[in-house]
Amino acid sequence: MTLLLGTHYHLAYDQVTRNRGRSFLTGLGIAIGVASIILILSLMGSIRNLVETQVKTAGESLIVVRPSTNQSNVDSIVADLTAQNQYLTSNLNLNDVKTIKGIKGVASVAPLAATITTLTTDRLDDNNKSYTHTIDSASLVGTTKDFETVENLSLKAGTFVSDNGKSNTAAIGRDLSLKLFGTQESIGRTFTAFGVKFFITGLLHHEEDPINYNNIDFDNTVFVNADFLSSQGTSLQVQQINIRAKNTNNLASLSEEIKTKLTESKKGDKNFSVMYGDNISHPASNFFSLISGMLTVVAGISLIVGGIGIMNIMLVSVAERTREIGIRKSVGATSGNILQEFIFESLILSTLGGVGGLALGYILAFLLSIITPFNPYIDINILMVTLTTSVVIGLIFGIYPAIKAARKNPIDSLRYFR
Amino acid sequence: MGNTVIELKSLSRSYGYGEGTTYALKNFDLTVKRGEFIMIMGPSGCGKTTLLNIIGLLDRPNFGSYILDGESVARLSGRKKAGLRSKKIGLIFQDFNLIPTLNVLDNVALPLTYAGIKSRSKRYIAADKILKRFHLEKREYFLPFQLSGGQKQRVAIARSLVGNPEIILADEPTGNLDSRSAHIVMEELKSLHEDGNTIIMVTHNPSLTTYATRVIHMLDGHIDTDVKTVADQDLPQPVSVHFGRANLDRKNQATEEAETPDISIDIKEEVKSTNKSKRKSNKVKKLQKKSARKKKKETL
Repeated sequence: MTLLLGTHYHLAYDQVTRNRGRSFLTGLGIAIGVASIILILSLMGSIRNLVETQVKTAGESLIVVRPSTNQSNVDSIVADLTAQNQYLTSNLNLNDVKTIKGIKGVASVAPLAATITTLTTDRLDDNNKSYTHTIDSASLVGTTKDFETVENLSLKAGTFVSDNGKSNTAAIGRDLSLKLFGTQESIGRTFTAFGVKFFITGLLHHEEDPINYNNIDFDNTVFVNADFLSSQGTSLQVQQINIRAKNTNNLASLSEEIKTKLTESKKGDKNFSVMYGDNISHPASNFFSLISGMLTVVAGISLIVGGIGIMNIMLVSVAERTREIGIRKSVGATSGNILQEFIFESLILSTLGGVGGLALGYILAFLLSIITPFNPYIDINILMVTLTTSVVIGLIFGIYPAIKAARKNPIDSLRYFR
Repeated sequence: MGNTVIELKSLSRSYGYGEGTTYALKNFDLTVKRGEFIMIMGPSGCGKTTLLNIIGLLDRPNFGSYILDGESVARLSGRKKAGLRSKKIGLIFQDFNLIPTLNVLDNVALPLTYAGIKSRSKRYIAADKILKRFHLEKREYFLPFQLSGGQKQRVAIARSLVGNPEIILADEPTGNLDSRSAHIVMEELKSLHEDGNTIIMVTHNPSLTTYATRVIHMLDGHIDTDVKTVADQDLPQPVSVHFGRANLDRKNQATEEAETPDISIDIKEEVKSTNKSKRKSNKVKKLQKKSARKKKKETL
């Protein structure tokens, strides 16, 4: 039997274009599902790409120490999100920073002790009257001067936190400076946190990417000296220790040494991870992958609804064309020919919907990039997977109506509508 | 045997089960020779259409054998039967059965699609040739609803012929037509018969039996009477052997070049005479009006 694929395609295409309104609405169901998936995957891809690029930009000499074991499987990532784990404290502390600093091969090391606190400052209102301005839930990070070196931070003005453990200096992000003081020119101004007065000595440059492997929004964070804060009686948890190696060639051996020395200093406690290279971004990547996977599954439900719409319309088409099926069979069409014609019709609807959805999804992603820092992430794999999915949807949901059409008895079909 | 194209032996077709069983055909025997023009007549429900459906491979008998051109169709797959319908058998229905969303050209070319002719231009060329034969070339891009009943039936006949079938089955082709259109259709079928095609036609109209070489009356699923008006040796033979789709154009050419009555002449004459009589009657009307005006002037 000759397949006559081209002929059946033309017949199916003519049928689809004959009922443009109906075909458009049917394809729209698929398009919306595909657009949702594209939007989610583009966003997540952009975020993941962002973090991975940052790690690459940070250089090949970066080592990061984080509390608990390396979270790269789904169960661990999910466990991190549960309430129980939110109460866990980090087992890293400032002593660990000293231990690492003493290792040969380490160029610089800086802790990240992030916390959320209330910041207050004195401001003048429009009538030049003094009042206390408060920001609740502001991000404060305790670190050392080495953080500037480790992260290659660039300051817009002033200097970063001093290395002196008695110094109550602070460097502030642009947006937080505007919120707290009402101006970016905040060098020399003071604020109070944990009952301690701090002086602003530096203003950070605006950071384009709020999502990074440090999990810090630099624009909305104030950096203070960790040792000073600790000396004031404030307990800090160290979430991460960033290390710059002197030599990029032996990161593996240096990481092992850091692991060994820390385990010794912690008296056998091994609940921490020492990461370098791509592994630094994996937790964030895996986290975003999990989120995007879950959202994609939810968006996939709309694709199934779109597929059901295709099946519905195809069944209507089969019923409308019952007599036509009888006529075709009487002039020599086989059941296979009829099956092919209807399958092609279903595939055309789903493919057109898929292509439309791709375009719609990326248009929405571009629109989103105007108001967010996430550029659309275009990957050929995403395009192929999404197109293939829409074709498969058309095949799955078109097969039943096509079989129903192919099985019609020609004599009964010719008598239909008589 | 070589001249026998259809052989039905003890054919039975029933509907229903048990006590509700009704027989449309019961122990039906029929032998059809190549080149016969058979008219099948009978009261409603005697099994004429069922017989035609079985011969046309649209239906299957419950018992008996059906041998088509020396080959039993009992073991043929659905695909092979469909192939025979597109190449060997042409079907003409009372209701025309044109696909309403396709134009005339697409409707006529439809059997060639399923005969395996992939090239659209080849299909259209063959359809165009057939339509020219029936003087419908100016209606090629019309949709069926834009045609008269007679034109639709001629399109249906053209569709049944486009694949060069040997056997033409017509189920009351003139049933929905006026007498003039019916006459034109019968002249078409007569011409096809004279080309050597085998035609089996079901009708209720006794006046059409003059076209037939054999008239069969059916009653309650059996043959009641079977009268041959033309001897077997006098039956028209096919102009050329049916080669198959590869030689479709050559067969069409041979058919056109063969010494067969030109159907187009009959139609032309018909159209000419109709136009002539129309012009005549218009002339007469004008003259009558002129004379009436003259009389009125004279009286005034």
